[in-house]
Amino acid sequence: MRWTLFIGALIGSSICDREKFFGDQVFRINVRNGDEISKLSELVNSNNLKLDVWKSLSTFNRPVDVLVPSVSLQAVKSFLRSQGLEYAVAIEDLQALLDNEDEEMQQNEGQERRSNNFNYGAYHSLKAIYHEMDNIAADFPDLVRRVKIGHSFENRPMYVLKFSTGEGARRPAIWLNAGIHSREWISQATAIWTARKIVSDYQRDPAITSILEKMDIFLLPVANPDGYVYTQTQNRLWRKTRSLNPGSSCVGADPNRNWNASFAGKGASDNPCSEVYHGPHANSEVEVKSVVDFIQKHGNFKCFIDLHSYSQLLMYPYGYSAKKAPDAKELDKVARRAAKALASVSGTEYQVGPTCTTVYPASGSSIDWAYDNGIKFAFTFELRDTGTYGFLLPANQIIPTAEETWLGLKTIMEHVRDNLY
Amino acid sequence: MQPRRQPPPAPRSGPGNPRPTAPLLALLLLLAPVVAPAGSRGAEDPAQPQDAGVPRRLLQQAARAALHFFNFRAGSPSALRVLAEVQEGRAWINPKEGCKVDVVFSTERYKPESLLQEGEGRLGKCSARVVFKNQKPRPAINVTCTRLIEKKKRQQEDYLLYKQMKQLKNPLEIVSIPDNHGHIDPYLRPIWDLAFLGSSYVMWEMTTQVSHYYLAQLTSVRQWKTNDDTIDFDYTVLLHELSTQEIIPCHIHLVWYPGKPLKVKYHCQELQTPEEASGTEEGSAVPTELSNF
Repeated sequence: MRWTLFIGALIGSSICDREKFFGDQVFRINVRNGDEISKLSELVNSNNLKLDVWKSLSTFNRPVDVLVPSVSLQAVKSFLRSQGLEYAVAIEDLQALLDNEDEEMQQNEGQERRSNNFNYGAYHSLKAIYHEMDNIAADFPDLVRRVKIGHSFENRPMYVLKFSTGEGARRPAIWLNAGIHSREWISQATAIWTARKIVSDYQRDPAITSILEKMDIFLLPVANPDGYVYTQTQNRLWRKTRSLNPGSSCVGADPNRNWNASFAGKGASDNPCSEVYHGPHANSEVEVKSVVDFIQKHGNFKCFIDLHSYSQLLMYPYGYSAKKAPDAKELDKVARRAAKALASVSGTEYQVGPTCTTVYPASGSSIDWAYDNGIKFAFTFELRDTGTYGFLLPANQIIPTAEETWLGLKTIMEHVRDNLY
Repeated sequence: MQPRRQPPPAPRSGPGNPRPTAPLLALLLLLAPVVAPAGSRGAEDPAQPQDAGVPRRLLQQAARAALHFFNFRAGSPSALRVLAEVQEGRAWINPKEGCKVDVVFSTERYKPESLLQEGEGRLGKCSARVVFKNQKPRPAINVTCTRLIEKKKRQQEDYLLYKQMKQLKNPLEIVSIPDNHGHIDPYLRPIWDLAFLGSSYVMWEMTTQVSHYYLAQLTSVRQWKTNDDTIDFDYTVLLHELSTQEIIPCHIHLVWYPGKPLKVKYHCQELQTPEEASGTEEGSAVPTELSNF
């Protein structure tokens, strides 16, 4: 992960002349006592060797990582041996490693640019997802529009796709939320696939056609753009937003504990360093506020579905308390039907129930807020898998996951269509 | 809260709950069993174990803890098992002492990314008693499983894995396994399997009634040359704890030889550390280095 940190910094940096590292190696040097530390410092500080310390000295018995340019390799090795310093070559050719990492993602994006064929069975950068959203809207201008609903903490746009067949303001609407927890990559991937599915199946599939006849669908594939970029460049397992917390060196709040539904209650933390830090106040996270404002202004949402991973669960309110939601019976029935439809594709089994007892208590969550604000059909999907890969779900499972999830989503949307209130 | 109806397939109680034997009855009365979950109100029918109301989650977590322990004890990286399905279970919960769970579940071979080959769709069956002491890790586990793989085949596969590990080019240039897109290179699978085995020990030891772990990613590996023929390596794993959603880095040192018990030492980062602190990664936790024997 440390490598990713450094490499990410390189790729993301705005240095015009990108450095090359052919034959450069990273040495991992073990320092066991003060004597060895001073020997190593002597080495590192010598100007002509041009060494670069990646991971520095903090305590004994912790290895130090040093980038050694190829020209200095011999000199450094001799020095280490003569001083009895234990070392290992951690990276034999830094340039090769960098090239390799670049390759996969660039390959995808290159292909897309050339043939305008977005590979739905792969994970993509934020830029690529936004680009594809734009393409979808351009391909089906009478059905889809890409709408900016706000911006993130680091000032990235928040884009939704609005699917609408009707004129007139405020038709009853469905909100599909994805990627609020940035490390749950299958969520964003499923969302963009779903966008393409909707446009492809409109006027071919009676179900989605009739749904769109009566209602609008709003799809937000990346509800946490800053977090998503961070997972691609710095830390694959980042969950929260990237907002700064005054007085703390810890970054970000959990955007799914930041909604105004029993805010700061059970199952959330007031510690900025926690993965479930709720933030200083409800809607403090601009990413959350953007959605809240949009939905409230619209005023006619009937359904809110939030896509997460992992665990294979389909849940409805409440998370903030074990109390039963007034519509629990109906929601449970719909959820079971949806889970059954989902399972019919590949046999993937989901468990169904209210959030609090199905997974854990969680206050300030999106669907609890939606439900308590009059959006009756509020569901959370925890997508594949059940822990074998967890967040790191292989790309070859994207399409199977999206396909089965689609059946679950349609079941819910059909019920909403037939039970508008 | 009403006891939830279990979704299919449900942990079925047997056609008649077997009546507890006398010592067990005494134990029951002593433990004053209540219906899970934590935070629910009141005891229901203290004289009998509740299974209709036992949250599926608790049974699954007990089953997973039992499997961590089972995998570690079996000491075989080519015979790892994962949970397929909980079939039935009972729980006794004493708010002051802890929680005892009896669970029966099916398992399948751990083979991520491989298509099931002929005969590998077979499920093993396990039954386990898992006792969680309140707030304390290292649940006491008694678990037995039906054999999934013939002993000879398992030994052969272990030995094959051992040879693959010995042949790996050192130093290993590992960035992470799986990579960020979830892919594991076939030639790296032995490393991953052995890491999973070692992590099972760590995850079992750290599991409590409320804390449950999954192996998220392997972020560094280093194999040491040994004087004997054992496999000796150091690695760093990231564990994902579900209820807090925290990612916990652990350094694990493992020594293995096919057929011999696994030796594991580990140190997991305990406290929250600032994400952005440059260079530092240690919290102020006291290292807890525990070896099994």
